[in-house]
Amino acid sequence: MSSNNVAIKLENLWKKYYRQNVFHRSLREDVMNVMRLRRNNSNLKKNEFWALKGINIEVKKGESIGFYGPNGAGKSTILKLIANVTYPTKGSVTVNGRVAPLIEIGAGFHKDLTGRENIFMNGTILGMKIAEIKEKMDSIISFSEIEEFIDMSVKKYSSGMYLRLGFAIAIHSDADILLIDEILAVGDEAFREKCLNKAIELKKDGKTMVIVTHNRDLIEKVADRVICIERGRCMSIRKG
Amino acid sequence: MIVIYTRLKDYRDLLLVFIWREFTIRYKQSFIGILWAILQPLSMMLLFTFVFTYIKPVKFSNYPYVLFLYSALLPWSFFSSSVNYAVPSLTNHYNLITKIYFPREILPLSGVFVAVIDFFIASLVYIVLLIVFKAEITWNVFWFIPLFLVLVIFVSSICLIFSALNVYYRDVKLATGFVIQLWFFATPIFYSIDKISLKLKLILFLNPLTFIIENMRRCVVEGRGVIWWQFLLVLSLVVLLFILAYRFFLITEKKFADVI
Repeated sequence: MSSNNVAIKLENLWKKYYRQNVFHRSLREDVMNVMRLRRNNSNLKKNEFWALKGINIEVKKGESIGFYGPNGAGKSTILKLIANVTYPTKGSVTVNGRVAPLIEIGAGFHKDLTGRENIFMNGTILGMKIAEIKEKMDSIISFSEIEEFIDMSVKKYSSGMYLRLGFAIAIHSDADILLIDEILAVGDEAFREKCLNKAIELKKDGKTMVIVTHNRDLIEKVADRVICIERGRCMSIRKG
Repeated sequence: MIVIYTRLKDYRDLLLVFIWREFTIRYKQSFIGILWAILQPLSMMLLFTFVFTYIKPVKFSNYPYVLFLYSALLPWSFFSSSVNYAVPSLTNHYNLITKIYFPREILPLSGVFVAVIDFFIASLVYIVLLIVFKAEITWNVFWFIPLFLVLVIFVSSICLIFSALNVYYRDVKLATGFVIQLWFFATPIFYSIDKISLKLKLILFLNPLTFIIENMRRCVVEGRGVIWWQFLLVLSLVVLLFILAYRFFLITEKKFADVI
């Protein structure tokens, strides 16, 4: 087993979603599944579809891979599975190391709290300790470049300021694996450049990165491998 | 219990931040701030004292009605404010649940912890009332602590079950308000089970809060002890409920992000 240098391993990954929210049935199914012990998830019922159809990917430690493909292809679903937010219908996800999802940065912000208070909020959600956050506070604030607004409640922030703060927290989280999903759409040119450089720097530090983006720039400069996902399948892999 | 420890060990700080956040948000931009914690049990106590003194005079106890009521309203407020916060806690944070992993039980449980802080603040008023109305305190007052622990375990179980169910069925949140109202009357708060028939007593004891709240009142203001075997029975039932509730939560948790 070479599991020591594998950061993420996706084996025969299938994920089923409901087209409509049929809550009642899904709870009843859960209860029945618990009692039945043997689960049979392979068949599609009415209004169900496969978001992922047998994905096999192995990402080594320190490697960066990019996912590319049309909307609704299943790229974000893969990130959610790696982030342990949702569970596969079939197959397995193995992750070695701490994961920091940069998926829609700022999702964890509470609008009534100040920027500084939200750093604590978001930092701990990303698995940081309070002491660790205090230590890195200055560095986070200076990276975000919003010093003057840091003690203002974030409901008054612009979307760019949101992004800056969120990105600054995430890159300070000391995670081994960074999941980056379409995050640089809002920032201005200068900040985007800064993030890109930071991403390259983090890569040099040996972080594993999984990137989903339409930004060719980012994917080409950072990713070692680009995987094209279409309709829940891996279509092609090319070295970057 | 071991599961809960391993799951929450690395996220202890997140739990602390959530508790701190709830606490600050709740009292931010509010004029009387922390006094809200006291206001709920206090105003209900005044209302019931008024009703049963002037409108329909009834004598429930041979000590001031104020003590009789507050001793039960204090744990009751803890119960109702925990449940009111916890039940919608998961659905209120859907933006977190669909994006980032952390042990989901932190959300409903932080509601319980915030209510514990409120409970302590409201307890200060209790102490003042006990002194002002010269309650005769005996050693049995220490029963208050284990009884409160049983209450916390019970409340946590209820919060885990119904917050998880609320992810699937929003009916739960809609039902909470009025179920809590009904539950209030099914719990000996403005009456005592001492003077009712045995048959009715047994029915009321189906409600775990009956045992907990009635005894919390007895041990402090009436100086009575708790019957050991009853306490142990209720304790083991409540612990069993908690284990089942936690299991249920862990099973349903896997689908939260998909159905929320």
